[in-house]
Amino acid sequence: MPRRRTESNLKPKAFYPELTYVLLEQDSELYKTAYIIVKKEKGIYVVMKREQATQSQKLMVFVLTMSLYGLATLFTELIPKFQVGIVEFSVEYFLFIPLVLGMLFDPLSAALGAATGELVFSEIMLGQFGGLGEVEKFITVTIGIYVAGRLVRNPKNQKMVGIAAMLGVIVQQFLGTMVDILKVQFAIEDFEAVEGLPEAVAVTEGFAFLNDVLFSGILFCLLPTLFLVPRLYGKIEPLLGMQPRTENTALSAIGVKTAIVCVIAFLGAIAAEFLAESGFELVSWEADWAESTGAMAVGMLIAAVAAVVVLVIMKKNAERAQMQK
Amino acid sequence: MEKTMKKLSENILDKLSLDFLRNQVLKNAYGNDDTVIAKLDPRVLIVWYLFFGLVPWFSGNVLFLAGCFILVAATTILARVAGLVLFLFLLGVFSQTGYLFLVSLLFGGNAETVIPLLVLTLKVATVSLASITVFSGLDPDRLSNGLMWFGCPEKLSFSISYAYRMLPMLMEEFQNVLLSYRLRGKAPESSGFIGKVKYLIYEVQIIVQAFYPLMLNTAKRSRTTVEALEIRGYRYAAANKKVKKMKLSSLKVTYDDMLFLAVSFLWMAIVFVVISYI
Repeated sequence: MPRRRTESNLKPKAFYPELTYVLLEQDSELYKTAYIIVKKEKGIYVVMKREQATQSQKLMVFVLTMSLYGLATLFTELIPKFQVGIVEFSVEYFLFIPLVLGMLFDPLSAALGAATGELVFSEIMLGQFGGLGEVEKFITVTIGIYVAGRLVRNPKNQKMVGIAAMLGVIVQQFLGTMVDILKVQFAIEDFEAVEGLPEAVAVTEGFAFLNDVLFSGILFCLLPTLFLVPRLYGKIEPLLGMQPRTENTALSAIGVKTAIVCVIAFLGAIAAEFLAESGFELVSWEADWAESTGAMAVGMLIAAVAAVVVLVIMKKNAERAQMQK
Repeated sequence: MEKTMKKLSENILDKLSLDFLRNQVLKNAYGNDDTVIAKLDPRVLIVWYLFFGLVPWFSGNVLFLAGCFILVAATTILARVAGLVLFLFLLGVFSQTGYLFLVSLLFGGNAETVIPLLVLTLKVATVSLASITVFSGLDPDRLSNGLMWFGCPEKLSFSISYAYRMLPMLMEEFQNVLLSYRLRGKAPESSGFIGKVKYLIYEVQIIVQAFYPLMLNTAKRSRTTVEALEIRGYRYAAANKKVKKMKLSSLKVTYDDMLFLAVSFLWMAIVFVVISYI
């Protein structure tokens, strides 16, 4: 007897009396879970069959996006960024990969996979891990891809694919810009001497945002997505044992709940960025502490020497004991 | 002169080939199992990293920062990190603060402008060297085990192990697909400004097109991977405490780990003594 699954967007009967769903078939744990949905629309009962990606398929999408986007970001990490005046040509060259996959498969898995891939391949593997600062990038990429993926209900609709691709880039870049501007606004003590600096930052950041959206957004996100989505549609899904996405099988439009979760995640991103690079003036605290406690420093030194000596002796003893055994 | 420049640019292009990248990444991941750093317990190293990755941000004392920097530089040497990673590190530090220094010199900067920049540079350099030591110096499997012990999501540690294993293969495949696309078409002349622009467009086009077969191939591979994982009960095991315990039983804090922490502590204590008596 296969275990009955309750997916998040299929609420128990009690909440929606008009919405009934029955587990129709389940090929195996790995593939295909189909539900029948009976829905009352304008007084008529409509029967729909809905297929859901299983957890394994979600993992497949995660692995797929992670490896491809990870590989791509590894290259971008190696391509030097160059600046012409204040215009920086540093673009998320390969954002089209998770965008395409998010439109064809489960958006959340694709979004998380992309963000993890970037973190693991280009940050951790190359030793570029920036600590908490990476959280901001992780969250903005996830939100951007997720929103774009949710928007496309029918990947055959070229117009919608284009709009979603641009919107994904805009959301991702906009959130990043917001964080940057807020960072300067709050860390303003450092810039007190400079009049009109916040405005200047807002202008340059806004310009960089427009530059990124218009330049990299169109060249590297919109065009490749429009090229790849129709080609891959219907071809790549069977490779993961799935049905292509259609109007009926797509997840419903973005609800209030999703939007709230996105906002909370964005606040988390801002908080992490602040913790990572804040101008919290702990400098003075540090200096006072170091000066007034010379005795404590000596104490620390003695403790450290003692610890090293004791550990060396203990290690020698342990080695000798092992030799005797 | 022209000849040497040509040779130099050829040399640099040579160095940046995909093969070179692959070798460097592989070397970084698996080439240094026998270093002092690689043998340490990942948990101890992560705790160590938390100190040297966070504390320098909150300090403005040049001596303290210099002390931290010397220590992490020493550990980076001990970890025998691949050249490419160090090059990227230098590039990163330069792009963050180095060019600011050059600009400030242009506008008549002096020793006073140098000190805040030095503080910033030391901060950035210390934090990145600490992360290089931990993330490049450790074996990927040990690193992911260490992260798992601290309660990081199972997916993250899986991703790390998977990424290190798969990356060489993925790179090779990408290179092959790219080459096969190149073989099929004729590259435009790259002389003159318009020619260069055309060539750039051609290259970008090829790269985007190459992702079409690559996506299909990778989809097949990820299905195989997940099926293999499921056969071994991966998703069940990921959530099971017993399995986690078994997986992490290989981690053991030895005297070497304690000694490593103690020596780091000793060095910082010396730095504090120096700071308080100068």
